[in-house]
Amino acid sequence: MLEPLTTSLQTVFGYSEFRAGQKAALTALEAGHDTLAVLPTGAGKTLIYQLYGYRHPGCVLIVSPLLALMTDQVNRMRLAGFRRVAAITSLTSYGERQSILAHLEQYQFLFLSPEMLAQPAMLARLGQLTLSLLVIDEAHCIVQWGPDFRPEYLLLGAIREKLGSPLTLMLTATADHATKGEIAKQLRTTPTVVTESLDRPNIFLDVEPVANDAAKRERLLALVTQLVFPGVIYFSSKQLATDMAQWLRDQTGLAVAAYHAGLSSEDRFKIQQQFMQGDLAVICATSAFGMGIDKNDVRYVIHYHLPADLGSYAQEMGRAGRDGQPSLAVLLYTPGDERLPLTLNQANRPDDATIQRFYAHPQAFSRNDPGIALLTFYLQHGISATAVQALFERREKERGHALAQMLAYVREPCCLRARWLAAFDETAPAHHEACCAPGKVPIDLTDLGLKRQAPTPPTPVAPDWQAQLRRLLVAD
Amino acid sequence: MDPEDLLHLLDDQQARRLRVIENLLRGRKTVSTLYWGQRYDLLFLLGLAKHLDRGGLDATAQALVSQKLATWTPNEQPQLRLTAKGRQRRDQVPTYQPQTRALWPQLSLAVARQRLLLSVQVVSQYAHRTARYYPLTTDLATRQAVRQWFHQAKSPDLATRIFTALTASLTQLPEKTAQVLTAGFSGYQQPGLTNQQLAVDLHQTPWEIYLRHVDGVVRIAQDARQADHPLHALLAPAWQTAVTRSAQATLRAVTTTALTLDQVATQRQIKPSTVREHLLEAAIMLPVTALPYERLLPQATRQTLLAALPAQLDDWEYTALPADLQARFDFFTFRLLAIWCDKGGAGHAGTPND
Ligand SMILES: [Zn+2]
Repeated sequence: MLEPLTTSLQTVFGYSEFRAGQKAALTALEAGHDTLAVLPTGAGKTLIYQLYGYRHPGCVLIVSPLLALMTDQVNRMRLAGFRRVAAITSLTSYGERQSILAHLEQYQFLFLSPEMLAQPAMLARLGQLTLSLLVIDEAHCIVQWGPDFRPEYLLLGAIREKLGSPLTLMLTATADHATKGEIAKQLRTTPTVVTESLDRPNIFLDVEPVANDAAKRERLLALVTQLVFPGVIYFSSKQLATDMAQWLRDQTGLAVAAYHAGLSSEDRFKIQQQFMQGDLAVICATSAFGMGIDKNDVRYVIHYHLPADLGSYAQEMGRAGRDGQPSLAVLLYTPGDERLPLTLNQANRPDDATIQRFYAHPQAFSRNDPGIALLTFYLQHGISATAVQALFERREKERGHALAQMLAYVREPCCLRARWLAAFDETAPAHHEACCAPGKVPIDLTDLGLKRQAPTPPTPVAPDWQAQLRRLLVAD
Repeated sequence: MDPEDLLHLLDDQQARRLRVIENLLRGRKTVSTLYWGQRYDLLFLLGLAKHLDRGGLDATAQALVSQKLATWTPNEQPQLRLTAKGRQRRDQVPTYQPQTRALWPQLSLAVARQRLLLSVQVVSQYAHRTARYYPLTTDLATRQAVRQWFHQAKSPDLATRIFTALTASLTQLPEKTAQVLTAGFSGYQQPGLTNQQLAVDLHQTPWEIYLRHVDGVVRIAQDARQADHPLHALLAPAWQTAVTRSAQATLRAVTTTALTLDQVATQRQIKPSTVREHLLEAAIMLPVTALPYERLLPQATRQTLLAALPAQLDDWEYTALPADLQARFDFFTFRLLAIWCDKGGAGHAGTPND
């Protein structure tokens, strides 16, 4: 007989109560039901499989599409006291991979990227393990067609069967009715669905239309100058994040840093820790990498570009106010901003003629083209040209729909929260003063309690190195 | 790398191949890259930017050319030469001159750097009795090496001993270099600054900051060669000879036996051309005493070839030699002679320069 869930929670994490959704998901899993948990960002999704792994023998296998963040996840788990944790991705060196594979039985938690899991040798090796739980993180990626879409996610259903259909936990922060159905269908299961409201009542929602790029920059500068820190600003590219970080630093004198995939892991570590420690006022991030930021007191999130869909927007702005204190989510919009997601949408998509020519002569194409790489993947997995065309068409339609919803949010005249939640089949509480400010409504930072009072602190100058070295190494 | 950083890797007297600089930075150890790296006195760049893309310096070079600080010279391979204006600019804005640069090709920088940074973090947190913290992201081999080292070195005075040792190393360096290294460390209540941040703070280019950082790491690793240094067990293994293991074996076979080069190839089961590449690599990277030049370049060979070659080493071209000399002497002999001259060998041999 297992001890009660709350006893384990107290032992492992020192908490006396679960957060909404955690207990329901664990209860369903312990009753042997595959479970789809749709919980908002910051709800503590990882705790569900950590606690399950603690309570049950065998290995918890976590499949996550966020390659670069897996190391962070492993570190975070080690920090929480879980020692037997490893990750294998395409970034893992050959030697390290061999070492992990040689001791596979010893791990309690194993993180794998989808492309690693899709390798037959890896699958065979995993087949020899006793899996207590299979976790599909960011499960909406199965159906989403974004820049980080991984075709391997389409194979997860088949892979799961090859692994003997282990008990499965699907996690996502965002899924409408159709997406939930599609996830279940792809994974060939009928899960128990655990859903909590996506609403984040302490985040004030704000959309601000601006006339052009120059006006957008000025508005961003005004916001960063006036708002309390810390804040996160999302940009559509590494270059823009880098350039704007420097510009904001020069203009405001604040400690601003860029954070994205182009940084070395050492620099990423440093920026992340500086932000955690409060050394940085603002981080300029790209979308995927903002997900690695795990700080409770982020006071505002600003989007400098139009997110691809409301789901990703909710995830990104959801980084604000995890401590429950008043926070702000601003979306800056210039007419025409929607062209960027459209371009991203079409960039990787080979047209019908290309698909036909590729299937006739696959050797004649370069794998360096991402679209061709995708087609190669489909061909290798026996998916026909017609099926691929249909797949692309459907995805494009879905993307078009998602973008239309995003634009409807931007143009919403009455209540942004109602518009956002309706897209996920939820009803928002009635609009009130501390709810939102659609495009034509100005915001008052003082009323929101988010206006900065103290003068700007200067950037710290590198002090006397001997004193610094002494502080680092010699305890008083 | 900013244009002004590249400026300092160029010269107004000697046209330099951009591809050679690029390949040095990327750590490509072909004989041609090493030879020209030696001629340009830029071997310290070897492997400093392993992630640089092919063509990754093209835009930087083009920026210098469009500012009229350098020009392309018409050659088979594009070569850059500083203009008078470029040379003036270079001399006006001095760049950082690393003290330890002669040692750089002998140190596995990635190994030494990762081990140093992680061990400082571990010891700093240990000194402040922090049990739980995020470790720097390093590869598995580094984590294992540091864990093993720490297990053996752990003692109440470890942190103080490391503080003393690091202070001794950094005091030998310019003040700013000591600042860069110290501020870049991660540890207790100090996430560490990135090179980019240090560049802004200290008004230098990120590349200069990086050179300072490497200079500091190499200085510490050099001092840690002493057996009583607290980081000795961790950093001493990062030192290596500047030539590959395989080239070392070839050199040993040549110096310890009377076999011909082709016989060495048979014995070592490698191609005859590989034997010659190994010897050239060793000749470039090692002191002039390491190779049996007397045997490989008999006096008659030297005299014959030197009589037919221009005085300036950089003007030597194998294909410009008369056909009969090309038939008598292979490219290997020609290149080895150039290396020998570059290393001052010609001074003893009675060249046309005497
Ligand atoms: Zn509202």
